[in-house]
Amino acid sequence: MKKLLEISLGVVTSVGGFLEVGSLATAAQTGALFHFQLVWAILLGTICIIFLVEMAGRFAAVSKHTIADGIRERFGFNAFLWPLVSTLLVNFLVLSAEIGGVSIAAEFATGIGFQWWALPVAFIAWLLLWKGTFGLIEKGVSLLGLVTLCFVVAAVILKPDWTRVAVSAVPSLPHHDTATYWFMAVSILGASISPYLFMFYSAGAIEDKWDKSYLGINRAIAGLGMSFGGTISIAVLIVAALVLGANGITQVDDYHQLPLMLTPVFGFWGFVLFVASLGIACFGATVEIALQQAYLVAQGFGWNWGEDRKPREDPGFTMVYTVTIFAAAIPIALGLDPLKLTIFSMALTAASLPLAVVPFLFLLNDRSYIGEHRNGVISNAAVLFIIALGFILAVVTIPLQIFGGG
Amino acid sequence: MHMIRDVLDKQVVDRNQAKIGKVDGIVAQLRQGKPPRVIAVEIGSIALARRLGPLPGRWMVILVAKLRGERHAKPHRVAWSKVRDIDLDIEIDVDVRKTAIFEWQDWLRDHIVGRIPGA
Repeated sequence: MKKLLEISLGVVTSVGGFLEVGSLATAAQTGALFHFQLVWAILLGTICIIFLVEMAGRFAAVSKHTIADGIRERFGFNAFLWPLVSTLLVNFLVLSAEIGGVSIAAEFATGIGFQWWALPVAFIAWLLLWKGTFGLIEKGVSLLGLVTLCFVVAAVILKPDWTRVAVSAVPSLPHHDTATYWFMAVSILGASISPYLFMFYSAGAIEDKWDKSYLGINRAIAGLGMSFGGTISIAVLIVAALVLGANGITQVDDYHQLPLMLTPVFGFWGFVLFVASLGIACFGATVEIALQQAYLVAQGFGWNWGEDRKPREDPGFTMVYTVTIFAAAIPIALGLDPLKLTIFSMALTAASLPLAVVPFLFLLNDRSYIGEHRNGVISNAAVLFIIALGFILAVVTIPLQIFGGG
Repeated sequence: MHMIRDVLDKQVVDRNQAKIGKVDGIVAQLRQGKPPRVIAVEIGSIALARRLGPLPGRWMVILVAKLRGERHAKPHRVAWSKVRDIDLDIEIDVDVRKTAIFEWQDWLRDHIVGRIPGA
């Protein structure tokens, strides 16, 4: 029973890593423009991330090392430098976008412009990291994150044509705006399969002191936790299609259009629920990414780390998240449009994917780390598929950004 | 045992299980007519920068000398004889607090982190 409660690691990873400003924005944009047609991209992204998260958790539970540890130790410093630098950069942009997401929620709630909220938001997230424990962050964010289920309720109330939703689970060719269609497919996959997500999960498994007895529960948590994020993303897409798209709003290029999504269903409370969902999901992601930056650096260079320890015990580790979180707030405080930054950083995440996924193929088959718990045929096939997908995404992202992103 | 595969880049823990760094470099002694002998492992930014090439190595030495003084402008070395166990992690029979390896962390603690309330 106690182990079942560990599901909160899956949900917090999902709320913070999967369901964040990137997923919300890309799902809303695609729903408005392409109706249900891109449901397959969310589904594909969810399946891929379930496999990667399960492997990251298994690797950590058996070897007591995180994925970042493994990349440095197995491939050496010179090779590690590439995923290190690219992940730090991409994470920084995404972190900035998430702070922007919380700031926009605060703007909706108060009417005070979002740029004024960036530094206060960064400060509150930093304070939680400074004073809080991993358990508090995990349980707090997962509990509050349940509010995002309002999208699922809304999607059901709106009575979509479920057969058409189901049909969209199979990829199909677009009838209009071809470049935009593929750009959005790439952005959705980038928003779903984020390297910081599975790296965070493997560090979380160490924070929660998992061992081999958690392997079964790890599988359930990976599946359920990531499905939680995937289901809500699909619900957002459905609601956007039926509310925004049906009312003639096909281009979501201004975040002020977004809170209207839930008002036809819930009235004024729809606005409140949207603001709460956006704020909580993005705040969870802010905390998660800032922490992951510190994990990545500390693990890569072999320092002590741990969210449950006092800041003064690990000055190096705590300084990384402190500097990152305030630096990432600066672009938003200067008024950079969070929605544009979000879409840009999601595509960049997709482009950085191969660097973070290729190591899985080696680490999860290395007996010295995981002994008899190494990958079977299915997991290895999944990794190979994700690597291939990652390379395709990396190659097509930049051209699509130019032709379809504008 | 393969030095590169099993030692280089592995996690180093001290005798209190504190994580003190990764093996950033390996020092071997060349001996006339005999095979070379491993005498120490290196930890720290200078050893790491040298992995990238002689030029980054020199830059790091200059940077460290500027920041912390000439005396510190060399990599931290742990004698091979201190290595107790080589598994996934490399355990050494040293107390990190009695070395200079974490001097920069101590500096951060004394000058920045420790001054923020709640640390």
